[in-house]
Amino acid sequence: MKGLLRLYPRSWRKRYGAEMEILVEETSGGVGVALDLLVGAAIAYRDVIRRDRVLSAAGAYLHGACVAVLLQAIAFVTLILAGQRSPEPTDLHAGPFYFATVVGTQPWSGDELRQQLSAALGLSAPFPWLPELALLVGLVLVLVVMLATPRLLRSLR
Amino acid sequence: MRRVVAAVSVVLLIALSVAVAEASLLVMLFVFTSILRLTFGVELGDQWLTLYAPRYAPVASVVIHHAGTIASLVFTLACGLGAASWRYRRWRPA
Repeated sequence: MKGLLRLYPRSWRKRYGAEMEILVEETSGGVGVALDLLVGAAIAYRDVIRRDRVLSAAGAYLHGACVAVLLQAIAFVTLILAGQRSPEPTDLHAGPFYFATVVGTQPWSGDELRQQLSAALGLSAPFPWLPELALLVGLVLVLVVMLATPRLLRSLR
Repeated sequence: MRRVVAAVSVVLLIALSVAVAEASLLVMLFVFTSILRLTFGVELGDQWLTLYAPRYAPVASVVIHHAGTIASLVFTLACGLGAASWRYRRWRPA
């Protein structure tokens, strides 16, 4: 359990490390204490970062890059969702610049045949877009958590 | 001299972080491609980075062109720098 104290910033450990080690030794341990220590480490790092202007900007830079990556992943899945079942190629372009192309499955493909067969046999209605939609919902949820994280960290005491 | 070293370090760190972000995006897209059973290709200069789906059934294919790769790099960099400059300008001592 004492190993978790190494996750704290060095300045914090210099000041409170010895006291905290004694405190941790006196507790019985367990998942609750480990979680407390982890949240405490996050708060300690937040305080160190917020005190310094450059570190604060660097943290914001990393956060912005992570949000950008997630937005691009969402755009990718949305493009697939829009273009996968289209018989014509779907292009994502701005003027002469073509960014991406999706070529959907053809009407004669096994996928379509399977759908027609399931419909003819009265089987449950197929939802071919379900994996894409599930992925999209998952990504949007991760994005929401990512956007809310700075606010959550600020509210931690 | 110290300022030059600091500036070069910042530029290198920014480049490294964008490279890591783009690599993780690429890995994420490969995983999605595998889950959704697609054929996926990325244009990288004269070369193609392609992930083929099993050939027993026709599958959809997605291609990211040069402009898409460059736009992705620029977008990631712009989001990061935009967030950093916003925080830097609005920073107040805690």
